[in-house]
Amino acid sequence: MKFFNAFRKKSPWILHYNAGSCNGCDIEILAALGPRYDLERFGVINTGNPKQSDIFLVTGPVTYRSRERLVELYCQIPEPKVVIAVGSCTAAGGVFRGMYNVEDGIDRYIPVDVYVPGCASSPQLIIDAVVESLQILERKSKAIETPFKLFGAVETVAGKLSRLGMAKKVTDAED
Amino acid sequence: MLFFLLFSPIAAALLLFALPSLRARYAVAALLFGLLSATALSLFFQPAATALGIAPGIGTLIEAADVVLLFYFLFQGVKHRSVPVLLLALLQLPLYLWAVAVTPAAASPALVVDDLARFMFLIINIVGGAIVLYAVEYMRREKSGEGKQRLFVAYLMLFLSVMNAIVIADAILLFFFLFEMTTLASYLLIAFRGDGVSRRNALRALWMNQVGGVFLLLGALVAAYGPGSATFSGLLQGDGGVLLLALALLAMAAPVKGASLPFDGWLLGAMVAPTPVSAILHSATMVKIAPFLILKLAPGLDGTLPGTLLALFGALVFVAASYLALSRSLLKEILGYSTVALLGLMMSLAAVGTPESMQLAMALMLFHALSKALLFLAAGVLEKDFGLKDVEQMKGLVQRAPRSVSFLLFGFFSLTLPPFGLFMGKLFAIASVASLLPSQPWLVIVVTGIAVGSALLVMLYFKIAAALLATAPDTVPVQREIMPPGFMTPLALLTLLSLAAAGGYMVQQHNSLLWLLALPVLIMALLPLLTRSLQRFDRVMPYRCGEKSEFDGALFYVEPSAAAARSLQWGFGLLFAAVALSGAVT
Amino acid sequence: MSLVMILLAPLLGGLVYGAERVLRARMQRRQGPPLLQPFYDMFKLMDKRTLIIHAPHALLAVAHFLLLWLAVGALFAGWNLLYIVFLHLFALIVLVLAGYSVRSPYSQVGANRELAALAAYEPILVLLAVGFYLVAGSFDVSAILAHGGYLAQMPLLFAALLIILPIKLKKSPFDTVEAHQEIVGGVEVEYSGLFYEFLYMARFLEYLFVYGLVFLFAGASPLWGLLLVLAVFLLVNLVDNATARVRTDQMVKIIYATAFTMATANIIWISL
Repeated sequence: MKFFNAFRKKSPWILHYNAGSCNGCDIEILAALGPRYDLERFGVINTGNPKQSDIFLVTGPVTYRSRERLVELYCQIPEPKVVIAVGSCTAAGGVFRGMYNVEDGIDRYIPVDVYVPGCASSPQLIIDAVVESLQILERKSKAIETPFKLFGAVETVAGKLSRLGMAKKVTDAED
Repeated sequence: MLFFLLFSPIAAALLLFALPSLRARYAVAALLFGLLSATALSLFFQPAATALGIAPGIGTLIEAADVVLLFYFLFQGVKHRSVPVLLLALLQLPLYLWAVAVTPAAASPALVVDDLARFMFLIINIVGGAIVLYAVEYMRREKSGEGKQRLFVAYLMLFLSVMNAIVIADAILLFFFLFEMTTLASYLLIAFRGDGVSRRNALRALWMNQVGGVFLLLGALVAAYGPGSATFSGLLQGDGGVLLLALALLAMAAPVKGASLPFDGWLLGAMVAPTPVSAILHSATMVKIAPFLILKLAPGLDGTLPGTLLALFGALVFVAASYLALSRSLLKEILGYSTVALLGLMMSLAAVGTPESMQLAMALMLFHALSKALLFLAAGVLEKDFGLKDVEQMKGLVQRAPRSVSFLLFGFFSLTLPPFGLFMGKLFAIASVASLLPSQPWLVIVVTGIAVGSALLVMLYFKIAAALLATAPDTVPVQREIMPPGFMTPLALLTLLSLAAAGGYMVQQHNSLLWLLALPVLIMALLPLLTRSLQRFDRVMPYRCGEKSEFDGALFYVEPSAAAARSLQWGFGLLFAAVALSGAVT
Repeated sequence: MSLVMILLAPLLGGLVYGAERVLRARMQRRQGPPLLQPFYDMFKLMDKRTLIIHAPHALLAVAHFLLLWLAVGALFAGWNLLYIVFLHLFALIVLVLAGYSVRSPYSQVGANRELAALAAYEPILVLLAVGFYLVAGSFDVSAILAHGGYLAQMPLLFAALLIILPIKLKKSPFDTVEAHQEIVGGVEVEYSGLFYEFLYMARFLEYLFVYGLVFLFAGASPLWGLLLVLAVFLLVNLVDNATARVRTDQMVKIIYATAFTMATANIIWISL
């Protein structure tokens, strides 16, 4: 519904995952969340819990050991969700590219929406990426367009109406 | 009516031996339950004060039986080389003979049926009857001979008549005889399985309970020499310099029977006995003698130093036993410790001695008996049908044994949450003791004791309830559990009875607060209706940091150090002694 | 009036929570989120896809919210304080059961800690009710609000309440129950979307509950009550920003050594 879509942009909660980074970008992310850059003014909370997150903030070039966890965490974030790849190695492997234990970028495993360059990336860029991702989040929410249903009540009514041949009317009303 | 309560269990026990078949055993137990509970209910609702004398011939017979009983204890002490049992029996024998010699001839009747006794009839016969019914099915699964199983059920039935007699005994020495009979029942039933551990624990139960008997005898002696009274009612009416000492000594038998802290060992050890024993003796009926005795003596103890000390003692036992229960992992031991704790609370409220607090103690007794019997019986089902004793092994059991777990959960809820009696008991107890604070500031210990102890018990019960509930996503259907009717009937009966008792209590109290208590229950009851509508949400596995391994959480335990446990025992021992001393001083 | 207050309780609590987030940001010299941020979060959570572990787990969150609402409503409606304290306990127990009912490490550790915290602060809430009873002569909140002079009669109980406030509000130094950095929020870890929202709103109610208890200390004058709440609000957030987290066992020991002792001493003092 449109009403709820308006709020999606205002409350992006992030999950930060280090997929084998050197911690350079992680520190920058923490700096962005800290008092100086204050990412919280956009309503951002670093939840640390995929089930309650909207934005997946990944650093590092995905090592062999971490790729399964990466996919698992990605799957546990409920839709709609946005993935931001922070730093050069996350985008394409960076200085680790071609090493035996490294997978050269996270987009081999999960779809990425925003790439943030830099080794290490800077807080300004990260904030920019988060703000950019909010637009994508809004677009994705529209694409999904799941109406809010409290315990299926709405859906039941809609289903009954559609059996009565009123389906078109309902969908019109929802738009 | 009264004679029926006293003698029909004996008749039923004899009938068991006459009718050998299993079906007859079920029929006799069911019949006994029905008749006894009907009689107890009709006596409760149609009160008529009765006092009965005992013919001198029968009186002599009882005296002789008592001597035989004490010799039996002596014999057991010799046979099993148990020094404490031997010494205490040697102490009891001359004391008893002395007491018989000096006790004045009964001026008042030996048996009195008062309101308290009628109330106790309810607990004993209804809860006890249900447990006997359960015992038939339970013993059928025991690996022992046919005759031994029948003997066990017969013991339980006989025990019911002893209990029915003890609550109406007004003569102190008769009370002592019946008290020792319950001790004997404890001893025989704990030792029933006959292995080394059972034997050892039974002997421990024996000598600890004998200590209670010694206090009773000392009380009887002081009563005979001081106020010159042979009955409880005479003692409470009389006055004399040493009256308080007699009352204090008699009251000291209560913490022993109630397994209060220095004596908690015997109740814990009793958990090796078959589960119906734990249910009937060590939680539902026999240990209720402890608050019963204090309630009986409360009019004399009210406001005196021993009475106050006893109240404080009970409240502290409530806290300490709840705390110790957190260190256990066997379900029956946990239930045992929580029984000790709640008995402490009941004794404390009884010793506070205002009409309100005494009524609360009685309400607690009834609800505790129902809930604890239910819990023990459900624990017995888990033990027999699933081979489970340790709560650590019961993780997620709700998926394997939904029925037993439902009964267990109901038991835990009825011990902690509104609108059940124990919750209300604690709530009102705090309110009622708080109103006494301005006149007796020391009761603050009782108030804080109730507050802390209840919080600890909540911790304890929900720790276990939670372990039972810890389940995987509900994509797998719950297994069906087949529970034989022999188990199902008593469990369902007890559940219905607790519900009925809670409802009856609410109606009887005329307290608007109680109706407010219905609100949370309504919320909880309506929510499961939404379960079906949740089917549309997708299921996921729990979050494990991206790992895929299975997880089994650990429950928490509180382990008091050996020194702390020892000082706890000594501390309570000293406090216990102080109760007697305070009687002597004042 | 009180009915409107009860119905609007989650809204009011949300505002308190929003104000707190702004205040905390200002204390750290940053801008912070907008005042209405909790409501943005709320509406967003409604729109998220909801994933659940199993039905009882999800429903217990709803029960927790409703029971807490009932407790706060009872406080506003002026019911028996002792009953309210126990109702609050009931609500918390439901949450603990929810935490245990899933085989998730963080959830279970969180539930363990929740129980430990419960054992620490619950007696103090009961003693608080007893204290009010001794001074006002009644457990009813409406009667308590008709009297005054509680701060003079039970200063130690007030201090005890201040000590346990951080546990209830999940703030340093006693925020081990939630501890996002170690156990990812404890019992709430397995909730998402719609059902997490119930827990999120329950937190708003928790704010109202504890600040409502603080308000009682002002007695008959609402103005002083609001000032008292404001002062406590500032103090709690200051302490939150200035302290580090203690362990759960340390927390229980500290509470029993300080708050519990003070509360008991105060009760004895009143009744003497």
